[in-house]
Amino acid sequence: MMKQILLITDGGSNVGESPVTAAAQAYAEGITVNVAGVVDEGTIGEYGAAEIAEIARAGGGISQIVTSPQLSKTVQMMTRQTVAGTIRQAVNQELRQLFGVNDVGSLPPTKRGEVVKVMEEMEETMSLSVALLIDASASMKPKLHAVEEAIRDLTLSLQARTGGSRVSVFHFPGDSQYSYCVMDAGWHSNASNLGSLFGKIRMRGTTPTGPALLQVVDYIRETCGRISKIELIDEPRVSGGGSSEVRSDYVV
Amino acid sequence: MTTSSEIETLAKGTEIRGQWNGKSYRLERLLGRGSNGQVYLAFASPRTHCAIKIGHEAAELQGEVNILTSLDHSAKEKQPFLLDVDDAIIDGRKVPFYVMRYVAGIPLRTYLKEQGAHWMGVIGYRLLERLSRLHESGWVFGDIKSDNILVGEYGKVELVDYGGASAIGRSVRQFTEIYDRGYWSAGSRVADPAYDLFAVGILWLHALDGKRLVQLTRTLIPQNRHPSELMKLVKSNPRLQPVEEWMEKALNGRFANARESSREWREAVRVSQQPKPAGDRVPGWMAGLLGAAIVLSLTLAAIWLLD
Repeated sequence: MMKQILLITDGGSNVGESPVTAAAQAYAEGITVNVAGVVDEGTIGEYGAAEIAEIARAGGGISQIVTSPQLSKTVQMMTRQTVAGTIRQAVNQELRQLFGVNDVGSLPPTKRGEVVKVMEEMEETMSLSVALLIDASASMKPKLHAVEEAIRDLTLSLQARTGGSRVSVFHFPGDSQYSYCVMDAGWHSNASNLGSLFGKIRMRGTTPTGPALLQVVDYIRETCGRISKIELIDEPRVSGGGSSEVRSDYVV
Repeated sequence: MTTSSEIETLAKGTEIRGQWNGKSYRLERLLGRGSNGQVYLAFASPRTHCAIKIGHEAAELQGEVNILTSLDHSAKEKQPFLLDVDDAIIDGRKVPFYVMRYVAGIPLRTYLKEQGAHWMGVIGYRLLERLSRLHESGWVFGDIKSDNILVGEYGKVELVDYGGASAIGRSVRQFTEIYDRGYWSAGSRVADPAYDLFAVGILWLHALDGKRLVQLTRTLIPQNRHPSELMKLVKSNPRLQPVEEWMEKALNGRFANARESSREWREAVRVSQQPKPAGDRVPGWMAGLLGAAIVLSLTLAAIWLLD
């Protein structure tokens, strides 16, 4: 099972633990952290851009700074690339141990074909959980429509995979002083079941990126050990919806 | 892991020498740039043209090589498409590349602008026949769009950029937003023949009514994207009216396969070429002219008589 956190933000954090250490902690627990920085007007600032890049580096993932219209495409691309990258790393490690070569590229071209077939098979069939963490501080408000669309779009793409895929959605800061982050949707596999995500968010000023990241790591830790139970809860709703696109992860 | 850095465009005359197979190629010019590499026109020998794709990452490029190999193996292809697969050292860095048959042609939209929209019948038929063969060997093209469909002389069609092809039943690995079935809430992103046929429908809208299509994507909110919105464009475009029924089926996933869609395309275009019933054949302006002439001569006669 592959686990990713995708952070969508537009600037620097300003409360609590450093998001860079939080991302490093996530990576240590086997969760890759990707970051999409959204800027529409003005610039993200040197500090913000550097922080975004560093969070992704610490989290073993990738980062990109984009405008709202590009967000859907970027979110998909990052998710897919991370899956491919994770598998490539694992396969290269096997190749090193078995054949003493560094990576697929060190094999003669005629031998690469079979290895890559196996890699692509794994990319398509491995189960994948992506937790989306959305910065909902005041400056993000005009971008939330684009964010919501990107989430739907990602879910639609993941739904098409052969392997089980799930998406959960969180935003930060929370409503009270003591909650850093709020869950908008638990693990879902079907885009049509996501409902309205950010209808009732109250925008606030602080940006506790680090603490929010850690809270999502906690959630993934807690839920990924109990996957079967969650799917049992999820199932009736799916069949009730009469969706013809129920995929294998619900059936298994 | 980091994002792959962009290689700069290589100069004309650069020599690419394969390390494993020993063949070498001289680059002529850049043909295109994709997410995972660059495609150049090159000379395999002083007289033979070929196209070379230079990638960033061996595993990624190998995925495309696998698709091309499998297409060449399915006996339906007459000439092999894939000619060589190798690595080369460029600026001290090892880069993977593969060599393809060079396809001369220009993107569909440009071709129709230059040669006229009356070529759509032939091109559409050839495209659907091409897709039928691809689907019958187990692949869906996925990223159908004007830039990936090269049209040569007399409407000959070749698909380029097989990097986006997906095995039937898998998820579509590469697509362009406005051509995507999922974007228009018209179905999933699972690779099936209907996915490509939907994109072909958009292709014609984009080629013949591009402005209104792009305008539609800007004005519709995501929840309202639906094939019925696209059909409104089709129905109000005289060029697309002959294939209205075909478009309706393609955009709603109602063709069983590409062969069937190709047959129906041919029929729809053929019907529109038949002479119209006699009643409709006299253009309005001619009838008007005749009427005007009669009125004029009657007036003159009246004036002459009254005098």
